[in-house]
Amino acid sequence: MIGRIRSQAVDTSKFVTDWMEHRTGIVTMMEHFLYEPVPKRGAWLYTLGSATLFTIVLQFLTGILLLFYYVPTTDHAWDSINYIMTEAYFGQMIRGIHYWSANFLLVVIGLHMAQVFFSGGYKAPRELNWVVGVVLLLLVIVLAFTGYLLRWDQDGFWASVVGMKIGSYSPFVGGPTIHFLLGGDVIGPATLSRFFAIHVWLLPAVLAPFIGIHLYLLRRHGVFGNEFEYSDRLAKLHERQRLESYERYEENDGQPYMGRRDRADRNGDEDEE
Amino acid sequence: MYAPATGKGKSGQEEIITEENVFERPDETIAFFPKQVLYDLFISTLILIACVVLSYVAPAPLTEPADPATVTYVPRPEWFFFFYEQMLMFFPGYALIGFGAVVVPTIFVMLLFALPWLDRSPHYSPLKRPFATVIGLLVVVTVVLNMLLAVSRIINFPGGE
Repeated sequence: MIGRIRSQAVDTSKFVTDWMEHRTGIVTMMEHFLYEPVPKRGAWLYTLGSATLFTIVLQFLTGILLLFYYVPTTDHAWDSINYIMTEAYFGQMIRGIHYWSANFLLVVIGLHMAQVFFSGGYKAPRELNWVVGVVLLLLVIVLAFTGYLLRWDQDGFWASVVGMKIGSYSPFVGGPTIHFLLGGDVIGPATLSRFFAIHVWLLPAVLAPFIGIHLYLLRRHGVFGNEFEYSDRLAKLHERQRLESYERYEENDGQPYMGRRDRADRNGDEDEE
Repeated sequence: MYAPATGKGKSGQEEIITEENVFERPDETIAFFPKQVLYDLFISTLILIACVVLSYVAPAPLTEPADPATVTYVPRPEWFFFFYEQMLMFFPGYALIGFGAVVVPTIFVMLLFALPWLDRSPHYSPLKRPFATVIGLLVVVTVVLNMLLAVSRIINFPGGE
């Protein structure tokens, strides 16, 4: 009985897998994604990028949950957050995760960036991935800034006032930009609506495709990690280049190069040819 | 069974390593799944646990409701803007603050974008390209020092200057 159920389950899962594979190619895709070889030595160091991704995912999930209660009006914004913190089921935890993972996000994004910088991971052919990474950093900073005002408490309110005052000093673009963000001449209900729209709709919608591009480019060129991951391959490359330079020397001079140590190997190679 | 971590250009015969493909595949590899996935999950779980614990130990702050009529409130930026706020202290007055607040950060961001084309040295190791490394360390030291200065200023003048 149990054996029959088991074999039926195996048949069914095989049927479903084949059906999906035939129509979407998803099994080949998963194999391709999951069995990609990655550097072994620095495996712990390379978790910084995935930690950044994870904290951003946490931001998305807890942000969506906060939207169930949050009201983006000057009259109710603070009250709704107070309700989340005191009354709502797991409200304190959901807002706490949103707040703390935002802080962790800025820490790991900095560490991730430093790791890429000091290992030279931005070099050819990975330049554009660095550029996309800087775009992501700027988006996250603006998200952090716009999120502060949404609390509509004294801290967030006055910090935003100061922030926009600083922004208004920008030459040429400062005035119109701040006027647009404020939705008028002074901070008020329109400002909260705009910061809400930017924080909840605009920036996440821009952020998500850039994360996609970042991951696509990462898979295309592979994790770089560090030069130390490639020391054997670099040694082989340099050895081959050295031998080639000897050969070029012999071809040009017609004289055997006296300094070379691999005479026997090379004769063997010639016999094979 | 799918053979894990065999790598791309390693089908049977020895791959010829050139300048172009030398960085395509590391010396020693592990399969992304399950090993690297487990490493990633471990760190992610630690972060999640830390967030959950901190959300009860140190709840996300919520001060009094915003009151545009107050004139005495001293706002503090979030900690990750400390170094920026502190940097502005070095550009006092209306003539300079625009420079410090916008022009300097814009130049810095432009340099960040251009970094792959500014550092054209063929070397990857930080020791073999000392200029980039020193500049990077200087940036880190400046940011950290400015943060510490901001923190010490806040401790020194709890009510603002």
